[in-house]
Amino acid sequence: MALEDYRGDIEMCCRCSTCKFIPMQMVTGAKYANVCPSIAKYNFHSYSAGGRLNIATSMLKSGFSYSDKLLDIVYNCQMCGACGVSCNYAMDMQVIEPINEFRMKCNKDGKTNPALDKVISGLRKSGSMLPVEGKRGDWAAGLDIKDATKEKVDVLFHVGCLMSYDKNMQKLAKATVKILQKAGVNFGIAGDAETCCGGRAYQMGYEDDFLKQAKKNMALIKKAGVKTLVTGCADGYQAFKVLYDKYNLKGDLEVLHTTEYFARLIKKGKLKPSKKLEMSVTYHDPCRLGRLGESWVHWEGKKIPGHRFMFDPPRVYRKGTYGVYEPPREVLNSIPGVSLTEMTRIKEYSWCCGAGGGVNESNPGFTQWTARERIDEAVSTGAEALVTACPWCEKTFNEAVKASGSSLKVYDIVELLAKAI
Amino acid sequence: MAISKDIYRALEDVVGAENICNDPLIMPSYYSTNFAAVTLPKNTQEVQAIVKLCNKYKLKFRPICTGWTGGFAPDMVLLDLRRMNRIIEINEKNMYAVVEPYVISAQLQAECMKRGLNLNLKGAGANCSAMLRGHGHMDQTTSGDDRNHLAVEWVTPEGEIVRIGSLGASDEWFCGDGPGPSLRFLINSAVPPGTTPGVFTKCATKLYHWPGPAAFPVTGVSPRYTLKEIPPNFMLRYYSFPTPEKMYQAESKIGEAEIAFELMGFNMSMVAANITTSNEEEAEVFKRLSKQVLGYGFMVIIAGNSVEDFEYKKKVLNTIITQNGGKSLEAVEKDPEIEGILLCQCIRVSASIRETFRAGGVFNSIPIMGQRDLTMRWSIGAGVAKEPLIKKGLIVDDGGMAFGWGVENGHVGKTEIFCRYDRLNPEAVKAVQTWQKEQTARALEGRFFASGPPEQIGPLVSNYHIWWRKVQNAIDPNGVASESGALV
Repeated sequence: MALEDYRGDIEMCCRCSTCKFIPMQMVTGAKYANVCPSIAKYNFHSYSAGGRLNIATSMLKSGFSYSDKLLDIVYNCQMCGACGVSCNYAMDMQVIEPINEFRMKCNKDGKTNPALDKVISGLRKSGSMLPVEGKRGDWAAGLDIKDATKEKVDVLFHVGCLMSYDKNMQKLAKATVKILQKAGVNFGIAGDAETCCGGRAYQMGYEDDFLKQAKKNMALIKKAGVKTLVTGCADGYQAFKVLYDKYNLKGDLEVLHTTEYFARLIKKGKLKPSKKLEMSVTYHDPCRLGRLGESWVHWEGKKIPGHRFMFDPPRVYRKGTYGVYEPPREVLNSIPGVSLTEMTRIKEYSWCCGAGGGVNESNPGFTQWTARERIDEAVSTGAEALVTACPWCEKTFNEAVKASGSSLKVYDIVELLAKAI
Repeated sequence: MAISKDIYRALEDVVGAENICNDPLIMPSYYSTNFAAVTLPKNTQEVQAIVKLCNKYKLKFRPICTGWTGGFAPDMVLLDLRRMNRIIEINEKNMYAVVEPYVISAQLQAECMKRGLNLNLKGAGANCSAMLRGHGHMDQTTSGDDRNHLAVEWVTPEGEIVRIGSLGASDEWFCGDGPGPSLRFLINSAVPPGTTPGVFTKCATKLYHWPGPAAFPVTGVSPRYTLKEIPPNFMLRYYSFPTPEKMYQAESKIGEAEIAFELMGFNMSMVAANITTSNEEEAEVFKRLSKQVLGYGFMVIIAGNSVEDFEYKKKVLNTIITQNGGKSLEAVEKDPEIEGILLCQCIRVSASIRETFRAGGVFNSIPIMGQRDLTMRWSIGAGVAKEPLIKKGLIVDDGGMAFGWGVENGHVGKTEIFCRYDRLNPEAVKAVQTWQKEQTARALEGRFFASGPPEQIGPLVSNYHIWWRKVQNAIDPNGVASESGALV
């Protein structure tokens, strides 16, 4: 698909501004009504989804041209998809897809962001979104984990760049391993052979680099004969489950987030959280596990001539309805002593942590601003800890907590579950 | 016209470098107009400074809020009021709220509901400014239009700050007419052009009693939200009637009895739009439900202050419906999920996007004010005039029905009828424009208040437009204020 293919969608924008707010019936007061970090921070309508689509409409009519301000708008978006959920409550139109295509067009026209170029350059050299120190599988030393490239396993645990290389985040990989071992799962990792899922490259607009990574990963998976992949990274989850499918690369691979898999194991009685953790928590839905984590829908059709924006066959929109919302909560609620209090912005209209879309790399100040908004919201619940299900979210929140001086603790669900078993 | 570096710098000195932009590439995000610059003032003083600069350099200006309506001459300075988004005060004792322009109705309503209060949510939607003038679903109990505006802080076209009503005399917001300068005729122009020259920077809006919960128990995942349970002493029903006259009689009696929290004359197409989550589903549900209604109808929300009050109101409602041959729509009465969806849509969302824009992204409407039984007759004619367009497939088939409601339980109210169509179909565009022009002329012939150019309407209403022009010239001697479009 290209931006041109979404011309009908973007021309449907009625400029109602609902893309800036959480769904109206979910607004609980003056605070926490915003849903889009970009317009909330930068205020010009151009930073909202509606503004972006209107610019795209204009450029499709009059030709593409670029300015520093335009590129500032293009790259200061976490591509979190919240705008689409709010729009699609009432409207039938694609929102985040054309915004994504616009960014990819910028990339193809050579209008890239230098900070993102640097990250992608690293990806091309090392297969990682992070600067590399040591080997990818070093964190697993001494944990007695099978090498899925050499041994037959039922489940491949895709660790991801952040949990592999960031020493502060390796604890999440280790906690995941502890849980899998406790449940007696026949699993393995790809170790040094593992490579980046490519999801963040996709978010940044580097479609070709994403595809290279996707093909490498699927070749490895095919060779290993793995049928089920589990990952604890929301970016990785979306990449394997949704984006690989979008490009017809996923095949019949079953992709599960750790929270989905662990909720399943708990239901089957293979995991029994029994140690009490006296803790009041609130849960942050990662964008790419939640609203952007719902399955890709393959659809081809034509607009039915007439007054309604309808298609033959009917077009199915991904409105965030079928994201992964309950399994993380089921896991949390299964831990004795943990009490969960929800924030205002949850599930499909959750506020982004700020780290996505390359913003973490191109404009860390904006990422931190976005994360601080969430920290404030989490604190307002009275919870002592903010729990999430993605290492990028945890890392970002920890940095925001540190900068703000808040006493809020930040965890990934696997950390709590590992303590409880 | 690109503004000079000096003017840009002067504006930049007011709002800061990060809050002004004149990059032509971003202008289409606002409208298909080349603005001289877009500014983001943070407070009244910054608005005033921008307006004064516009006078100094003879630049036209216009404010916007969430920004639904158009009407922008090229080369004007746009004041995007997004940063002015504070609820200044909710005065529970005197039942009013003071807000800045970019507080949306959903925010203010949520705060009010916690305090047992409510406001008039405009038909444009909960996503629009809470200080917006207009009518909405809850006009029965929360009035409408300029009757909800109390004191206002106004930056005039020349850049003076005027505090209207009690605010001008006592720093209190409780009244728009005094003690202090009453300029209601100026700031609440109900007749076209419908826009006050200058900028409202703060406004007090009336609040009303809210008999419901502090928050609706919404459940589900978008786009299918409903209520976990219908709140105690709440009931929503849809009734259709054998004739429009019977419907009006029932509407009138319900108003006299003052039993309805909301009476909204939805047609079946609008009901279908509101309870469905896609165009395909809407078209199917509309066909199905249309077979279950007698014809014209309305939706009623009963909200009791106590069990006894609730029972009383239901009893009176049933009597009125029975006396007028009304029929309850089973799809609503027998299905709490649909009842819950409609309660959310009508009280918290204000419905409008699903029922207007979802079909083809655009609609043309003729809203008129007047005595309901008379304006309903006009609307029936306007509906008949839609039929050929429906038959040709140029507009969405909505049965040619209008909608409307009385204000403050009265016989005067709003009646509206619209066409939804594909804006990329020139035949449809032309047909709808012709329909709109002809039916507006019919409304004006009937001496109903309808929208149109002041020069067309003025002669029918004591030539007010001549006087309005004189007033406008007096308060805007440099001709820099915008004249068109409402502040949505």
